[in-house]
Amino acid sequence: MDIAAFDAGLLQATIARALRRGGDFAEVFVEDRDSLGLRLEDGRVEQTSGGREVGAAVRLLSGEHTYYAYSDALDEAGMTAAADAVAAAVRVGDGGSAVIDLGLVRSDPGRHAVRIPPETVAIARKAQLVRAGDEAARAAGAEIAQAIVGYGDTRQKVLIANSLGDLVYDDRTRTRFTAQVVARRGDVIQTGHETVGGSAGFELVDEATARAVATTAAEKALTMLDSRPAPVGAMPVVMANGFGGTLFHEACGHGLEADAIAKGASIYAGKMGEVVAAPIVSAFDDGSVPNGWGSQAFDDEGVPTQKTLVIEGGRLTGYLYDRLRAREAGAAPTGNGRRQSFRYVPIPRMTTTYIAAGGATADDIIAATPRGFYAKSLAGGQVEPASGNFVFGVAEGYLIENGRITAPLRGATLVGNGIDILTRIDMIAADFDVKTGVCGKDGQGVPVGTGQATLRIAEMTVGGTG
Amino acid sequence: MFDILDTVLERACAKGAPDVEVFAERSTSRRIKVYRQEVEQLTAAQRRGLGVRVFAGGAVGHAYTSDLSDGALDAVVQRAVDHAAVSDPDEFAAVPEPVGEPAAVHPFDERLTRATDERRIELALSVEAAALAADPRVKTVEDTMYADGDGEVFIASSAGVRGSYRANQCYAFAYVLAEEDGQVETGYSYTVGRALEELDPAACGREAAERACRLLGARKCPSMKAPVVLDPFVSAAFFGVLSSALTADAVQKGRSLFAGREGRQVAGEILELVDDGTLPDGLDSAPFDGEGTPCRRTPLISGGVLQGFLYDTYTGRKAGRGSTGNGLRGSYSGLPGVRPTNLVVSGPVTPLADIVAGMERGVLVTDAVGVHSGANPISGEFSVGISGVLIEGGKLTTPVREVTLAGDIISMLTRVRALGDDARWVPGGSILTPSVVIDGMAIGGT
Repeated sequence: MDIAAFDAGLLQATIARALRRGGDFAEVFVEDRDSLGLRLEDGRVEQTSGGREVGAAVRLLSGEHTYYAYSDALDEAGMTAAADAVAAAVRVGDGGSAVIDLGLVRSDPGRHAVRIPPETVAIARKAQLVRAGDEAARAAGAEIAQAIVGYGDTRQKVLIANSLGDLVYDDRTRTRFTAQVVARRGDVIQTGHETVGGSAGFELVDEATARAVATTAAEKALTMLDSRPAPVGAMPVVMANGFGGTLFHEACGHGLEADAIAKGASIYAGKMGEVVAAPIVSAFDDGSVPNGWGSQAFDDEGVPTQKTLVIEGGRLTGYLYDRLRAREAGAAPTGNGRRQSFRYVPIPRMTTTYIAAGGATADDIIAATPRGFYAKSLAGGQVEPASGNFVFGVAEGYLIENGRITAPLRGATLVGNGIDILTRIDMIAADFDVKTGVCGKDGQGVPVGTGQATLRIAEMTVGGTG
Repeated sequence: MFDILDTVLERACAKGAPDVEVFAERSTSRRIKVYRQEVEQLTAAQRRGLGVRVFAGGAVGHAYTSDLSDGALDAVVQRAVDHAAVSDPDEFAAVPEPVGEPAAVHPFDERLTRATDERRIELALSVEAAALAADPRVKTVEDTMYADGDGEVFIASSAGVRGSYRANQCYAFAYVLAEEDGQVETGYSYTVGRALEELDPAACGREAAERACRLLGARKCPSMKAPVVLDPFVSAAFFGVLSSALTADAVQKGRSLFAGREGRQVAGEILELVDDGTLPDGLDSAPFDGEGTPCRRTPLISGGVLQGFLYDTYTGRKAGRGSTGNGLRGSYSGLPGVRPTNLVVSGPVTPLADIVAGMERGVLVTDAVGVHSGANPISGEFSVGISGVLIEGGKLTTPVREVTLAGDIISMLTRVRALGDDARWVPGGSILTPSVVIDGMAIGGT
């Protein structure tokens, strides 16, 4: 079944049925997702897997209450059961709102252009890419012990109808290539990771790209074989461009999501217009970056994605809203209502979040740092938005001595507090770059981009073993 | 449902893929979130689907579908066949054979089927109320959730595997924010069971509040090498990461730090670590795993000595032995992978109060941030952010935060010196563990 041609009458009837005992907003989210994943390990393409999942969810908002039901069945019986489940949950009924006619709004297919739809490419060609990645990784050095190379593509079609009269169809294709490489010397084992991904088709990854991604991962692992344990203590930290963007994502981004704001569970609550970062810091969340991994034309509530200025010159200027939290706050939704699939309630989520580039160069910043820690790539991190405390693992780190990058360091963690760290940023370079990741929150994973240019934090706690 | 599975087996055979396995599930679940004594969110879910694994001369192809219509069954079989065509063959990959009788485990409690939404909401509200009432410094309960699930799984294969079972479970969770002098600290707790009657909402709310409040006033402590007491929540997080290195998959692929250490001392002598998929109160207990192999008890570490690893059918064949019943599936859309069922950490215990009283200087660790990102299960190195309470002169004194705990997993395990008398189940991996005392850890602060 093509969900773009879904029976509008059934959508409308489902919305009316959901609202019949009360509630002030109802929505139907229909999804058809087709995925393919290839994984190579130990030199073998293993257990190639893929499939199709279809389903529909009905959501009803009544005041501050959310009622949600979903089923894997796209037929009338499944929709009726879901509508009845949410309607039955409404405790104080005051009759339904009128449903207005649904006019179809289609997403602009040119927005995140797909030149080569992945489903038109033979799986064998995709398998060639992971084999090429494996070859490149193993060619990087005799100490490469293992390479895990992955290719994945997804085509997700969604149809979103609501009682405001919106009817949005969005067709999203994402492609990603990843390499994790293990290097071993005696008892020392180190790993390196690299990835490329986008809201784009098969054109994103050709054989040269696959080789380059795997080689980069292999070189990281080899470099780290020579690493020594990272020191412990407070010192200047230079965060490299690209992967360093996880800093902003964790240290600040989660605290700007409007659900944390609404519950007072964010250090950024009540601070609109206040200084939350150094004056040289401006930052954005942008769900509309062309072909960005974290991009799509509409969010998962049918709101067009946009570029939102969240920090301007060090002052807080914006939060990230879904419909529910925007309504509560009397603000406009910002296109940040996202869900992993029809099985999840949409919540405020980041898309591509980044600190804007500055004017320095990475070399200037290193040269201006007599002694410090250079975090080239981060392994991931976590934050408690309520306190702003965060922690990152450093996948690739180096010592900075006398204004030069010297010994590779392993086992380092960066620990700090969001506002503290942002106010201590004292240099930003122009070498802006974005990396791809999957962000987890409330048990839901969504694709996100994290970006920044090389920047320096005047002082930060490094936790190592040395 | 078995008629659908049989149809899939027949279609695969007709498409020239006689070696095939099909796994299906159908389930219902409820999730209720409350906030400020109101229902914030109620989710009712129905889920079903199946996954097909085709073995073609040692090459494996997998495909899944949530649509069980006749046309979709045909398409899913064709995709599994197509996927097998691009996978590389492996001499050890073959359809799992039937192995003995399913374990005598009944992970289903009839009482949960009688739960009403009213009762579930009441339970969630009482968790939040208990947290709010526990201490005036509780600012808010950011997240209070009740959830339950009731699902059936079915498996059938061309090798003659055929089985199904029904399982259910429920839990409640609270995440509390406490505030004093402008400082906010957080704490959480769970209660888990197979019936509402088995949950203790008051204890869950109270404990989450206590865990948040006892961190108020926390600050950094000086860097030091000192013993730490990992409370059960933190211990479970570490053993969860560690367990991935105890799978035969990690060993055979050269990414286990335990490879080649069987029969050797890898942990303090008091430590026992067992995987047991047959425990009546274990949330991950089941009659059989995702390949139809009976669940069982597998010792991993005994007396600090590494006993062995966890296997699924494939890794078992490769090692010239059988599966330990650890070929688990996350859902119908996932392939079976080698994972623990319920992990149990045990050994001779010491009252927790005596452990603290006997410690001149150390840290009781009650929260660790970044265990999954800050710990590398391949190299064994980790560095995580921790919160907890300082132990000085045999007493719990000031709370600490924004400090790091770093080391490597093997040397940490070998320094396990004592276990507390406070063993409990921690969900999220289903781990039963007491507090664990570890000597000489690197704590990074000021």
